[in-house]
Amino acid sequence: MTSPEPDFDVIVVGGGPAGAVAAHQLATAGLSVVLIERGETPGSKNLSGGVLYGRVLDQVFPGFAQEAPVERRITRHVTTFLTPDSAVSLDYRGGPLADPVNAVTVLRAKLDPWLVERAEEAGAFVMPGVRVDELLREPGPHGRPQVVGVRAGDDELRARVVVAADGVNSFLARSIGLRPQPPEHHLAVGVKAVVRLPREAVEDRFGVSGDDGAAHAIVGDCTHGIGGGGFLYTNTDSLSVGVVLRLDDLLRSGRTAIEVFEDYLDHPGLAPYLRGGEIAEYGSHLVAEGGLAMVGDVHTDGLVVVGEAAGLTINSGLTVRGMDLAVGSALAAATGVAEAIAAGDVSRDGLAAYRRHLDESFVMADMRTYAKAPAFLERTGMYGAYGELAADLFRDVFSLDTTPRRHLAKVALGAFKRSPVTVRQLVSDGWAGVRAL
Amino acid sequence: MKIVVAYKWAPNPQDLEVRPDGTVDAGRAKPAVSEYDPVAFELARRLADATGGEVVGLTVGPAAIDTPLARKAALSRGLDRLVVVADDALVGADSTRLAVVLAAAVRGIGDVDVVLTGDSSIDVAEGQVPLTLAGHLGWLGLARVAAVEAADGGLVVERDLPAGVSVLHVAGPVVLAATADAVVPRVAGMKDILAAAKKPVEALALAALDVPAPGTALTTLATARPSQGERRRVVLEGPTAVADLVAALDLAGAR
Amino acid sequence: MNSNQSWVVVADEPAVTGLVTTARELAPQVVAVVVGSREAADAAARAADRVVWLGEPGQVPVEAYAAAVADVVAAAAPAAVVGATSPAARALLGAVAARLGAPVLSNVQQVEAAADGAVVTHAVLGGLVEHRTGVAGVPVLAVDAGAVPADGPAVTVEEAPATPFAGVTVTQVRPRERTGGDLGSARTVVAIGRGLRAEADLAIVTALTEALGGELACSRPLAEGVDWVSKDRYIGISGQRVSPDLYLAIGISGQLQHMVGVRGAGTVVAINSDKDAPVFAQCDYGIVGDLYDVVPALTAALGGGA
Ligand SMILES: Cc1cc2nc3c(=O)[nH]c(=O)nc-3n(C[C@H](O)[C@H](O)[C@H](O)COP(=O)(O)OP(=O)(O)OC[C@H]3O[C@@H](n4cnc5c(N)ncnc54)[C@H](O)[C@@H]3O)c2cc1C
Ligand SMILES: Cc1cc2nc3c(=O)[nH]c(=O)nc-3n(C[C@H](O)[C@H](O)[C@H](O)COP(=O)(O)OP(=O)(O)OC[C@H]3O[C@@H](n4cnc5c(N)ncnc54)[C@H](O)[C@@H]3O)c2cc1C
Ligand SMILES: Nc1ncnc2c1ncn2[C@@H]1O[C@H](COP(=O)(O)O)[C@@H](O)[C@H]1O
Repeated sequence: MTSPEPDFDVIVVGGGPAGAVAAHQLATAGLSVVLIERGETPGSKNLSGGVLYGRVLDQVFPGFAQEAPVERRITRHVTTFLTPDSAVSLDYRGGPLADPVNAVTVLRAKLDPWLVERAEEAGAFVMPGVRVDELLREPGPHGRPQVVGVRAGDDELRARVVVAADGVNSFLARSIGLRPQPPEHHLAVGVKAVVRLPREAVEDRFGVSGDDGAAHAIVGDCTHGIGGGGFLYTNTDSLSVGVVLRLDDLLRSGRTAIEVFEDYLDHPGLAPYLRGGEIAEYGSHLVAEGGLAMVGDVHTDGLVVVGEAAGLTINSGLTVRGMDLAVGSALAAATGVAEAIAAGDVSRDGLAAYRRHLDESFVMADMRTYAKAPAFLERTGMYGAYGELAADLFRDVFSLDTTPRRHLAKVALGAFKRSPVTVRQLVSDGWAGVRAL
Repeated sequence: MKIVVAYKWAPNPQDLEVRPDGTVDAGRAKPAVSEYDPVAFELARRLADATGGEVVGLTVGPAAIDTPLARKAALSRGLDRLVVVADDALVGADSTRLAVVLAAAVRGIGDVDVVLTGDSSIDVAEGQVPLTLAGHLGWLGLARVAAVEAADGGLVVERDLPAGVSVLHVAGPVVLAATADAVVPRVAGMKDILAAAKKPVEALALAALDVPAPGTALTTLATARPSQGERRRVVLEGPTAVADLVAALDLAGAR
Repeated sequence: MNSNQSWVVVADEPAVTGLVTTARELAPQVVAVVVGSREAADAAARAADRVVWLGEPGQVPVEAYAAAVADVVAAAAPAAVVGATSPAARALLGAVAARLGAPVLSNVQQVEAAADGAVVTHAVLGGLVEHRTGVAGVPVLAVDAGAVPADGPAVTVEEAPATPFAGVTVTQVRPRERTGGDLGSARTVVAIGRGLRAEADLAIVTALTEALGGELACSRPLAEGVDWVSKDRYIGISGQRVSPDLYLAIGISGQLQHMVGVRGAGTVVAINSDKDAPVFAQCDYGIVGDLYDVVPALTAALGGGA
């Protein structure tokens, strides 16, 4: 018995950055593509807000920062250390950061539909409001089960290749045993909100103007000692604010992510930025934080896995980076899939072309560079004592009592003595940190 | 029988943001086929199937209502074809203006026996458009329609009114607004969406329609966010919550 | 335009005081055009300055008179037109609005006469925002008819029989039993929502309602969809609007479309198991808990129930 003709060359499941860009590239290459997204409108199921490192998207859509719905260009990076009642910030602003395609803030509710429209323009058939329930498999030419399509409700669609771009915890890849359930300590919970503020308030509070924006990373006592940290990004007339919490720590703490998040919003170091704002949108989401260790198999017979579904995120402990990696993997996958289809071999061996392109791309280079980050972040010092230490230090520098101003190095030493962090720990963590980040 | 289903491509007000000055930001709004309009699609499809008729979808509004996605969303739910009037002159159009344009489009479609609509749109939610449309067409307009069937050279219409159920026989052309729970609408599957892309769509230019000028001009003089009545928002939890509530109500003289 | 006169269209409403009050804000003389029973015409005659009765519909629905009403109203060229919010009244208003090329404004809070028409304060987008709108032309307004019939002296009812649409006949009417008393005038209203798991469980809510001496109401899904509570008892934008002294929202999430129906309530109490339910931001007192525990406990604390 011969199998029925495929309905499409490629089925892409998931309309996030990975899926939309994969569909765009494949359609541009002349293949027939359907992009299936469970949200009624693309982006509606995706948490808003984030910093997008735009260089890779600029390759796909030259000048995208002018065309696409981006919020602000990041020209100012601030790292803030919190203790229960104080905040110390390191502020970095510089011309090179203003390079338009370097880093921009985006709202997913706007970016995702824009990307999906580009895919549609390129000729992909966009199918929103459909949740894929299952991969269809049949015995393949090599005697192994081959993915031949998808099922949603009562309907089946067939294709030569399925691209799983279904986000974290890829249900599709796991359903066929391609990817294991990640262990808890490789997962983090991200809670994000978009807080609406008048444009002027955003600009005044963050010291930015025009299209410029700021990205704040927040460490220290803001997560009840749970491994993790927070971020605060400026959009045009809103802020994206969130925490990233290690799942195992969180479970151990007995608190809910939302509780921790709400306390974080109330922290005196953060509250002034948010004052008078209104939460416009709010949600939580699992993030893979295992770094390189999370990237296992990303292809099998008839299927490739891209973006966060393939574990391609870099979690610095405070912020999460994944959109650019999603796009990078989508480019590699589109090239690899197109080659495999042209060669008439969509088996595991044919689709290995994707893995080769991925390995050669910046995506895996960065994953390797940051490979040690998760282990570094497991040292809980990052989340508690260092914040105290930094705050102590700055308190001594800025407190204008009658004692003569001491030299900063001495101040630092004084602060050290009060801090539970040992010098050795500081040095060794510092070393680990430099290597990892 | 030729059946027109008028449906709205509208945002859920839950996604609209009201600024402190009462203006509305639709930036994050995700428009879709208005919540109850698929009920009208389903009633229309069943009526057409029973009579060998045709179902024509009709929507009017700003340019943004006509995207490939919006077309498929409607066409995958049992329509045979679609007529769209999309023009930014209709941004913020009031119920009468929408009805007048809909009426012109219905006349343009020609030989229409029935116009079916939803109960009320998700954003405006006044249930007025279908009845003003009937006024403009000079047809009978009936809201709260729970069932409709073809019989005796006309339609048997069952209405679900506060006082009870009323059954009518209607011989002429008619506008029927369905109740929200008249039927359970079908869920579009992948094959329906694929088929939708192949169905004909006609984009009618607003300027080409015979639309009379409005008799009344509206100007928005001020906008405001409704005060939530400054509720106290005391939230009680735990074993003493009930006793606390009773005490608070007594104190406030609220019972 | 006859700036001395505003018109009220009556679609068999038993009370029209709300309509007449609004109409009087816009012109000194109020004329009512009535489609409905003799009693409705007589009731209007006690509130309006002139009543034109188009006749008893009999075997046709009130809506069949829409064009006839539009003819009569348009011929009088009134300064304003006011009607109720029922489906039948909206059909009459729709025909009038189409004839005049004027929009129907709903959810009206305040009206003032202006040189070229009126200034209307009204809620739009389902109560999300309020607008003050200048109407240059004839305002056509849908407002609450009011519950209390007028008891003033009656003017003479002018009979002006009109011809309804041909080709429509009511063949059957199955009246609905009215459950309970009047929601509109109730001082305490207890409303139940989708937090209720089964129809039989309504008993625990009715026990509380009785203990409070109130009326039972619900959110839309319990009346339209599952039909556990009769359709005239759901609160909200498409249902009833109530302003009791005390309103209890039990197992109701607090969506905009529901809550606009109780904006006028004195004290709002919410019982919900989800502490993040939007209803808690819109209540005076809230209890976070399972209604199956809280409601019986509250009934007992109020000295009622089992
Ligand atoms: C708190 C937090 C903060 C973050 N901040 C940043 C940041 O600042 N910068 C950054 O670059 N990254 C950030 N990330 C990571 C980033 O969100 C992800 O890496 C990125 O979204 C991955 O894109 P994707 O296309 O692979 O998957 P997604 O964006 O998750 O898209 C997957 C899509 O698939 C759809 N889908 C899933 N299952 C099905 C199904 N069965 N059928 C049909 N459709 C389905 C979903 O609806 C979704 O639209 C953050 C993540 C979190 C949680
Ligand atoms: C055009 C339009 C008009 C509408 N008009 C109206 C209207 O007039 N009136 C109206 O009501 N709705 C209206 N709706 C529907 C409205 O949007 C909501 O869907 C509806 O009000 C939700 O009803 P609910 O709160 O009962 O149900 P849900 O939103 O499902 O909420 C149920 C709540 O019960 C809680 N709960 C569950 N179990 C328990 C338990 N054991 N104990 C305590 N709490 C529990 C849940 O936490 C939840 O908050 C309209 C919608 C549209 C689009
Ligand atoms: N712009 C529109 N285009 C087509 N149909 C509409 C439009 N607006 C409203 N309708 C129809 O009228 C019904 C009632 O809408 P509304 O009067 O806005 O509550 C909707 O359910 C639709 O069926």
